[in-house]
Amino acid sequence: MILAQLFFEFFHIGLLSFGGGYATLPFLYHIAEFRHWYTAKQLTDMIAVSSITPGPIGINVATFAGFKTAGIIGSMIATASIVLPSFILVLIISRLLEQFKQNTYVRSIIYTLKPAGCALLAAVGVDMFVNSTNVLGMFLLVILFVLSLIEKRDPLFYLGISALAGIVAGLLGWVS
Amino acid sequence: MEKTFYNIFKTFFKVGTLLLGGGYVILPLLQSELVDKRDWVDNEELCEYYALGQSVPGVIAVNMSAFVGYKLMGFWGAVAAMLGIVAPSFLAIVIIAKMLDEIVGLKFIQSIFWGVGIGVLMLIFLAVKEMWMKSIVDKYTSWVFFFVFILSACCKVSPGILIVAAIFLGIFRESKRRVEAAKVAEISEDDES
Repeated sequence: MILAQLFFEFFHIGLLSFGGGYATLPFLYHIAEFRHWYTAKQLTDMIAVSSITPGPIGINVATFAGFKTAGIIGSMIATASIVLPSFILVLIISRLLEQFKQNTYVRSIIYTLKPAGCALLAAVGVDMFVNSTNVLGMFLLVILFVLSLIEKRDPLFYLGISALAGIVAGLLGWVS
Repeated sequence: MEKTFYNIFKTFFKVGTLLLGGGYVILPLLQSELVDKRDWVDNEELCEYYALGQSVPGVIAVNMSAFVGYKLMGFWGAVAAMLGIVAPSFLAIVIIAKMLDEIVGLKFIQSIFWGVGIGVLMLIFLAVKEMWMKSIVDKYTSWVFFFVFILSACCKVSPGILIVAAIFLGIFRESKRRVEAAKVAEISEDDES
């Protein structure tokens, strides 16, 4: 039963998430809240690990979430079902490439989906900020933000800095 | 190199292994592997597939791989490319997921995760900023952003429902535009007669 639910949840993420790897996150946080397969805290840890392992982050997190939910079978089902809609759509679109590119309905839908996807991710960001950030975290966030204003860097740069900050804060006993 | 199932799989497996820190780096990686080293597609086609990959739901890197795979060898090419791009990511996580449960309890690891959690939040804000600059271009897109944000953040409406609603809104907007265009055409015809 849980495997069927996994298939359904991840298939619909693959079908409806729009705007890249991070676009899957609003769906995954929603699952954390309503299905209780994993907690929001665990998901944040999964995203952190996924950012420093090979592969697209959307696939990493799906594999991770599937594993947390139902072990190795769960991770296989979650990964397969998140890519299945892509596969079907790409096969269809590849055959109708010119119509797809020129269709004004398709353009209008994409034009609407882009700000919608952006808003969903922004809502996740605000939620995480409100729920999980203490004064120390806010301080770290401001530092990272200032660094990004000075020069835009690779994602790994920010994760490296924040991991170091975590270690230092841990040694000083600031992280409980 | 010949375009066989195994070769396509191998090529995308390599790209999947090198893909670190988010899917956006896939374009330069594929350029180096497919255009420079193998001459399987030209650069222009690749950029077009990158754009197409973003206009299909799901993970961009996976979409783009499937498009290129299909172009190389039809159905089985798409299967090979997708399996190749997904496999490294899947294997890495399955190995780590097992260890993670054991080490996550350690205090040292917890403080790293605390820091990296903040780093992830920063990456999310950067992604939002990037998406914002590409997608919020006029009044209409600003309103879409505003409503989706409020409904998602305050009312906890499921993201799936909001995306489906946005799809319908997009269809409605285009239908309305077509009706209005038809009206304008009618009026100008009346003027002529």
